[in-house]
Amino acid sequence: MYELDMLLHGAQALFNQPMALLLALFGVTLGIIIGALPGLTATMGVAILLPFTFGMDPLSGLLMISGVFFGGIYGGSVTAILLKIPGTPAAAATAIDGFELTKKGQAGIALGTATFSSFLGGTASVFVLIFLAPVLARFALEFSASESFALAVFGLSIIASISGVSVIKGLISGFLGLLLATVGLDPMGGFPRYTGGYTELFNVPFIPVMIGLFAAAEAFKSLEDPQVRAGMAAALDRIIPPWYVFRRQLGNIARSSGLGIIIGMIPGAGADIAAFVAYNEAKRFSKTPENYGKGELGAVAACESGANGCTGGALLTMLTLGIPGDAVTAVMLGALTLQGLQPGPLLFKDHADLVFTLFAGMLVCYVMMLVVGLGSLRFMGRILQMPKSVLTPAILALCIVGTYAINNSIFDIWIMLAAGVVGYFMQKWDFPASPVVLALIMGPMAEANFRRALSLSNGSYDFLYTRPITAALLAIAIVTLMLPLLRRLWAERSGSGPSTINPAAGSSRMGTPE
Amino acid sequence: MKGYRFVTGAVVGALTSATMMVAVQAAEYPTKAIELIVPYAAGGGTDLVARAYADAVNRHLPQSVGVVNKTGGGGAVGLSEIMAARPDGYRIGMGTVEITTLPNLGVARFTADDFTPIARLNAEPSAITVNANAPWKTIEEFLAHAKENPGKVRIGNSGTGAIWHLAAEALATKSGLKFSHIPYDGANPAVTALLGNHIEAVSVSPAEVSSHIAAGTLRILAVMDDQRSKAFPDAPTLKEKGIDVTVATWRGIVVPKKTPANVVETLRAASKKAVEEQGFRDQLTKMNLSYAYLDGPEYKVAMEKDAEMFKVLMKQIGLAK
Repeated sequence: MYELDMLLHGAQALFNQPMALLLALFGVTLGIIIGALPGLTATMGVAILLPFTFGMDPLSGLLMISGVFFGGIYGGSVTAILLKIPGTPAAAATAIDGFELTKKGQAGIALGTATFSSFLGGTASVFVLIFLAPVLARFALEFSASESFALAVFGLSIIASISGVSVIKGLISGFLGLLLATVGLDPMGGFPRYTGGYTELFNVPFIPVMIGLFAAAEAFKSLEDPQVRAGMAAALDRIIPPWYVFRRQLGNIARSSGLGIIIGMIPGAGADIAAFVAYNEAKRFSKTPENYGKGELGAVAACESGANGCTGGALLTMLTLGIPGDAVTAVMLGALTLQGLQPGPLLFKDHADLVFTLFAGMLVCYVMMLVVGLGSLRFMGRILQMPKSVLTPAILALCIVGTYAINNSIFDIWIMLAAGVVGYFMQKWDFPASPVVLALIMGPMAEANFRRALSLSNGSYDFLYTRPITAALLAIAIVTLMLPLLRRLWAERSGSGPSTINPAAGSSRMGTPE
Repeated sequence: MKGYRFVTGAVVGALTSATMMVAVQAAEYPTKAIELIVPYAAGGGTDLVARAYADAVNRHLPQSVGVVNKTGGGGAVGLSEIMAARPDGYRIGMGTVEITTLPNLGVARFTADDFTPIARLNAEPSAITVNANAPWKTIEEFLAHAKENPGKVRIGNSGTGAIWHLAAEALATKSGLKFSHIPYDGANPAVTALLGNHIEAVSVSPAEVSSHIAAGTLRILAVMDDQRSKAFPDAPTLKEKGIDVTVATWRGIVVPKKTPANVVETLRAASKKAVEEQGFRDQLTKMNLSYAYLDGPEYKVAMEKDAEMFKVLMKQIGLAK
């Protein structure tokens, strides 16, 4: 087998370059730290390191950047699980159940599961990248504006499954997010909308809103607690999940990784979307969907393997076609070009040795991520034992510094604090925060691509049902939205659990989010 | 960038505050890292020029220059940020041709006069590129097809009112044709759509399609320049074909208008040294980008000339407000 042969050669070449390995380790470690800090994302981490790679040989530079990419996606989960601070947008999905597990005192196993799932998802995606790249690459090109629109609508429909207790409250949160998403420049015409003359509002300040809704709101809430000397939970008792527990997640991880790889390949869709979609599908296939949102290990496993599965998928289209699958690989595309490596079909022909050495290095990066991750978890877990009188101010400070770091903008800090206050009351009144985040990710994507698709079809709406991928995704979206309702109807008809919600009123609301 | 800037900022701050921070900041520029705002997505032509420039100029400034991508609104977001930046030279920007086009659209709060040009680095013509599977082998065939199917030929561009949109509009006006213009969020997604055969052509620069040309998946039919491109000498110019359209983008360093003269001089001198480096020119060549350095004053003249040209064109096609 050509690929296997080349990979083994690549591995040999790799271990003759200890400096490249060392830089990869540095990249992974730095990536985990960047990922864990709110405001600093994998994209930013790669951009920070990019100028340093100019002087390096291509292998070292690219491995270090890959390390930051992989570590950055994973690192977000640590603070998401421990403190409900999603370090990256992808970790916003992990935070839903991850933090519930921490409250139940199972932080250790949640973190361990996240680490193993990230490792498995990422490694699987790199293997797909190595062996199936030429076969799968064309798929990405099938995705046009209408497919991206349908994917975004499907993403929005996930609101129904991450709403927690009340679907109606989840939808209200989602609408709030969609309204926020209309702020900024019109994606097609470039006209400013609801910006009130502030240039800062030309782009929806997405990450400040996310940090505010999750982390700052949680910090405000813990200010209520008079028990300031106590820590949140005891030390992590066990990190590596017992085999009989983890075994049950393997199917879930395989499915989520697959979804992550596919979503990674789609241009313009990244780890954040992958994590939410993986969450949704894990819940759909779960035997105990009612536990999702209340601290289900499967949710953490799905989000993390989905998000990391994205890495290989995004790299796949970037390397084989020269089209970046997400924001991080768009930056990496620049890095490759500056190293004199033109991504595209010729890369595999002209630089096969380097490419396969790089692949071997990526696998090593994931092993490093596993080792560094597991090694640091016990230390990270100590955070939970910190007295709240120390932890809460520290979280708030971190929120402010992290927000400022995104754009060096004081304006963003005000946005973040305002979102924190809103998030505090949302939490008080049981409105989930994650639908807002999801709507902020998907709303602009849906709008821009819907209007682009209309332009492409000369104003005809036929693309909604004539294109198979679009039609399928829209159908899945409708099913996802209606599923909770249908379940309730079915339960009512069979005469078991009494329902408090009038199904007719429910259905009229559910039809509207598109 | 930000994290790096924060760390360096903290270190520099701690060191200087102990001595005489105020005096140092007033007299010597730069005392902290400089942010180079790029109004387009990472990986695109403008971004690559910016990164090559940052790499080169870092050797001629005591502080590092870091690239920050501020995308959206066909460049309006990033350019507005550059214009609105505090004029202290710590937020400089990649000024692109959109400086002269966006004001006509009525969406920008800036005009070309709001910027002080430092150095033009590069200029790229528009090119009509189609998929290699497309039936049109020459620009004549393509234009004939467009004539038979008015409004049906979809040309992808990097945003409404952005340079590649205007290039396609200029071609349409001069040749009396009607295209359907599809805006994307940058040149890269437009090229992706062309690769997937979702549109018929793109009007982005040759550099932005070069890897696909090399791979044989796309084909350049014509460039909108005065002379043929050095990298793709086989592609004719539209002028050769009797259509007098030359539209090019340019990229260069600009600062807000009120930036003090000593800062402007420092940046001009450093930029001049940076572009003279063989390394910088090699980087551009590697990326199929053409070196087109102009010093501040000449850059200003070129900018004003384009501003006038686009004012007329955009009024003609009904884009100008």
